[in-house]
Amino acid sequence: MKSLTKYFIWFIFAILLTGNVFIFLNSIKLSDEINHFEKETKNLHQENLNIENKIYEVDSLQYAASMASELDFTQKAEPVYLENLKYAKSQ
Amino acid sequence: MIKPRLLFIILLIFYLLIIVKLFQLQVLNPASTHTTYLKTNRIPPERGKIYDRNSQPLAVNRPSFLLYIEPKKIEDASEFVKKIDAILQLGEASLASKIDKTKNWVAVQSGLDKDKKQRLLEFKLKGLGFEDRFQRYYPESSLAAHLLGFVGKDVQGEDVGYFGVEGYFNKDLTGLPGIIKSDRDLLGRPILIGTQQKLDPENGRDLYLTIDESVQETVKKKLQTGIERYKAKEGCILVTNPQTLEMLALTCLPDFDLDRYYLFSEEFFRNPAISNLYEPGSTFKPFIMAAALDNKSVQPDDFYDEKGPVEIGGYTIKTWNNKYEGQISMTGIIEKSSNVGMVYVGERLGYKNIYSYLKKYGFGQATGIDLQGEADGYLKEEFAWYPIDFATVSFGQGIAVTPIQMVRAFASLINGGKLLKPFVVQKISSGNEEKSIDSKIERKTISAKTSEMIKKMLHSAVENGEVRWAKPKGYQIAGKTGTAQIPIEGHYDPTKTVASFVGFAPVSDPKFLALVILREPQTSPWGSETAAPLFFEVAKELLVYYNIAPE
Repeated sequence: MKSLTKYFIWFIFAILLTGNVFIFLNSIKLSDEINHFEKETKNLHQENLNIENKIYEVDSLQYAASMASELDFTQKAEPVYLENLKYAKSQ
Repeated sequence: MIKPRLLFIILLIFYLLIIVKLFQLQVLNPASTHTTYLKTNRIPPERGKIYDRNSQPLAVNRPSFLLYIEPKKIEDASEFVKKIDAILQLGEASLASKIDKTKNWVAVQSGLDKDKKQRLLEFKLKGLGFEDRFQRYYPESSLAAHLLGFVGKDVQGEDVGYFGVEGYFNKDLTGLPGIIKSDRDLLGRPILIGTQQKLDPENGRDLYLTIDESVQETVKKKLQTGIERYKAKEGCILVTNPQTLEMLALTCLPDFDLDRYYLFSEEFFRNPAISNLYEPGSTFKPFIMAAALDNKSVQPDDFYDEKGPVEIGGYTIKTWNNKYEGQISMTGIIEKSSNVGMVYVGERLGYKNIYSYLKKYGFGQATGIDLQGEADGYLKEEFAWYPIDFATVSFGQGIAVTPIQMVRAFASLINGGKLLKPFVVQKISSGNEEKSIDSKIERKTISAKTSEMIKKMLHSAVENGEVRWAKPKGYQIAGKTGTAQIPIEGHYDPTKTVASFVGFAPVSDPKFLALVILREPQTSPWGSETAAPLFFEVAKELLVYYNIAPE
């Protein structure tokens, strides 16, 4: 009976030890993952802002003006409706 | 027997050492333990964005980094300085002066981009760190510099808005920072059984302006051209919807570069449209005429015998060209912009009524526009007025107003007499919550009938005035020119003027009201030859933009 109890205690001890090691290793792994995802989220947010800003830039009047001048659209875009009312009236 | 005892003693000493160390860490010096593992970081909120009325971005955020150093951790200071300076080019001496070994943390430079951060990280220097920040980014550059204001720093180094919308709505735009408290191991990984608390930041509220980016751009370009053409010192154009008084465009030149505001002095930051006072000159005449019509002191078809100059309190008042029409109608007085005629109208209205209408129009008090830095204007107390003051105010001299006061009061003349509060922010948005801001009527200035009469007079002033302008054909446009001499050291300098034009279209149902002001134009001192042509150029563009059909 005594030896059975002894084995049982050893068995419990082994399980607790294994469990502890398992939890410890898992917590380290989880910490690593948390750390990794924290950095990833931050990077994604920054990248998202950068891309958003690029879209804003391409969509801006300043960019349109620079493109228009590059493509020589400036003169053609001048409205003529008020000097030649037939254009306005025919709309 | 000795061996187990020895082992026991060694183990006991080992345990005792651990206990002593734990006692030191947990009882004698708990703070140092706490700070070693517990990292408390502030999570900066993202500043609210600013959009135009069509949700086009005017001020947004981009990620940036603050470079800091921890001098105590730096091993070789001279190598450290050389490497950093190769990227930042701040000057080795200035960088070296920041390495103060008595300090734990010193900020070096803010506003670094990702590329520079990456290049600095490649050096793998000890004692170098980065804090995440946000920096303002303006997709339309300085299109609305005065309107937006800029984001600078306060004494604690925190972002704070100055001038314009950034200054006025700073609290809404700033948001609330979050806090993260986390136990971390030596490698910076969270210790899961330790403290892990996070309070998310509340980002700033987004603002949607009443400004139309396209109108603002058109108006700014025209003003730039106008200032160059007429060789003016500075200028402003304000465009508003007179029915609601929402500002559609507001631009003054010279302005400043929003991205490099620190290169400019404070005088460039002040928005002349709300902060600068000027004498309005003849653009003020419609106010006195409308007051006299409203008070029934005169009728549009009444006549005045304009024989010559008039004497008031020892001063002689002449017309602008020293020509006198003889019998002239009230409409004629506005058409010819007769100072002498206006003195007559002022006298018919009476001094008390003049003062009371000026108060009604809101002169001498801030309009309450939602922009930082508005001036009150200047209106003397009634008892301090002499007869000459009442005479000169009838043609817009001897009174100082801000352009925004002028626009507010003029809008009331043409919208049926409603004095409204001007505004530039129409919506404040925070997540799913939205708060709309509507126009607000403050009081009535004149009756709707008087409003119709003065509109007709102002239309007549454009059609039958002294100068023929290149007006858009087929449209009914109304307005009034103004030329005010600038008071210098107690007298007026005839060579220095403020030329202006205030006009609106279409006359029957005004869709826009615009005030053009040019300070000290060199090509001609007259508003009719400088500000007025510029107004009609702007009006042409606006008529097309708003798709207003010819009448």
